[in-house]
Amino acid sequence: MTDAEFREAYGRHKDMLHRFAWRMTGSAAAAEDLVQDCFLLLWRNSTAHDPQRGTMRSFLIGVTRNLALKRLRRYRPYDELEEESAVCSPIDPAGRERGELVAQAVDALPPLQREALILAEYEDLPLEEIARASGAELAAVKSRLHRARGNMRRMLAPLLETRGTYGTGR
Amino acid sequence: MEPEDDQKLSELLKEWRVTGAPPSLDERVLGRPKTWWRFLLTGSIRIPVPVGVAIAALLLVMTAALLRQRPAPPPGSPVSLVDFRPVDDPQVRVIRGPL
Repeated sequence: MTDAEFREAYGRHKDMLHRFAWRMTGSAAAAEDLVQDCFLLLWRNSTAHDPQRGTMRSFLIGVTRNLALKRLRRYRPYDELEEESAVCSPIDPAGRERGELVAQAVDALPPLQREALILAEYEDLPLEEIARASGAELAAVKSRLHRARGNMRRMLAPLLETRGTYGTGR
Repeated sequence: MEPEDDQKLSELLKEWRVTGAPPSLDERVLGRPKTWWRFLLTGSIRIPVPVGVAIAALLLVMTAALLRQRPAPPPGSPVSLVDFRPVDDPQVRVIRGPL
């Protein structure tokens, strides 16, 4: 990979990866570290991306999600990556902005459900691409997304029922 | 599950907004862009030892040669006497005055 190709890939994907990493970790500082590590890895091992196996975007999302999951395992070692039976309770919206409540609800999802929800809802990625980036079957991604939406509906029920009552978002 | 529910949930989710990559990330990934004057003030270059030794030796030799050099002749063209002719009728005026 030439310097120009690297810069082109960085310029094209940095914002999306930063948003994804921020929502996965809940921290802007951690997101910056993860995206830097992702591109460092690409620079050091530019042959790691095989265009036959997927786009550069899928590859970079895959690297960033692996780094994010690694970080989660370090900081929250007792969290299960995929809790199929995880049922999240409604959150208490008292005195907080809607955006903040949504962030809290996303953070409460099991990591693999969170990843599927972020890539589908916020980045509008097709399910096939999410499956490629996360190295999972398409059916598994559909199932994670379905459970994630169910959990989000439960957690945000107070907001979905009474839209406009709690703040204006950020 | 109603499609309307999905729509309402999607709209609600969009209320959590985060920004794209900050400029500090550009610096961390691509490095700080160097201007020529910054390079002149803080830059460094790496040269192989043999090249450095050769340059130092060359500088020494040139300095020694400059110090030994004789002073150069004064500038200007040499005087030619080819067109020189004595004055035919010199009307010499003798001025006498008090000594």
